[in-house]
Amino acid sequence: QGTQVAFGGLKHDSTQPVEVSSDMLQINQEDGSAVFSGNVVVGQGTMRLSADRVVVEYSTGDGPRKISKMHATGNVVLVNGAEAAEAADAVYSIDSGNIVMTGNVILTQGQSALSSNKMVVDLNTGQATLEGRVKSILQTGGN
Amino acid sequence: MTTYDNSYSRFVAWTKVILPIVALGILSTLFLFSRNIDPTLSIPYAKVDVEGLAREQRIGAPNYAGVTEDGSAISIIAKSARPDPDNTETITATDLTTTIEDATGGRIDIASDNGVIDTGQQIVTLQGGVRIETSTGYVINTSGLTAALNETRAQTDGTVTATGPLGTLEAGQMLLERQNGAKGAHLLVFKGGVKLVYDPKG
Repeated sequence: QGTQVAFGGLKHDSTQPVEVSSDMLQINQEDGSAVFSGNVVVGQGTMRLSADRVVVEYSTGDGPRKISKMHATGNVVLVNGAEAAEAADAVYSIDSGNIVMTGNVILTQGQSALSSNKMVVDLNTGQATLEGRVKSILQTGGN
Repeated sequence: MTTYDNSYSRFVAWTKVILPIVALGILSTLFLFSRNIDPTLSIPYAKVDVEGLAREQRIGAPNYAGVTEDGSAISIIAKSARPDPDNTETITATDLTTTIEDATGGRIDIASDNGVIDTGQQIVTLQGGVRIETSTGYVINTSGLTAALNETRAQTDGTVTATGPLGTLEAGQMLLERQNGAKGAHLLVFKGGVKLVYDPKG
């Protein structure tokens, strides 16, 4: 059972270039794995994912080594358009364009906020599915 | 001059006089109108500072090889090297290629225009456009780099631009270190603000 929520506009295109900026980057020369650390911001189109630490995983198999997943940990904040989501960690797989956030996820949309312990965001369709113990806090004050 | 009755003999007699005079005239132009050839100009001299060559000791195509304490091999090949007259432990070399290979087969080639190898402090300082290529497919350009000869440690002086499997990247500084102690793998650490652009289509 998951709650379907709209997340961000539909115009996200996962073939846009991904920009990553951080304080430090470590590249292991043996297996080529890369770790960004120190207020890392991953940006693609309108989506911004910031975290303390991002580990880059490559796609296996032949051909040029492409980045398949970015695993972000440490107060992860995902912002796309007007919505923002916070979690303990997030895995962004670039080709499929979806982000799986786990660890007390809080999704804020304007006035209302939803929290659960797992959320899957599909950037291409702009759909977010919250799973497990979904709680929502609705602002009832008149504006 | 005997007279002849027919014109042909007169003609021959005149030519016997005129032709030698003309020959003498042509022969004289050889000395009167010839260009003065300056012997020193005709031989191309090599523009090498001969006194410099004689005064200094100079090694052609030297190479330095050594193994660091943690087991990676460092070799430096240069076009020419000159020991420093006032400090016997330093050697200035031109057009160097430094190679650092670690036990697991990872390899880093550093090419630079000139460098100073200081065997006293066991460091080599490379300047003048340093280009680093790693076996994992990274090409890194920077202005200067200092590398240690007795252990796997190197750091760039200035900012760094790099391209590789991760995409194109700029950073404030780059270091080469061993991961947690001697047995770890080589680590390329980019510091001082990293900006990277990765193109999924590229």
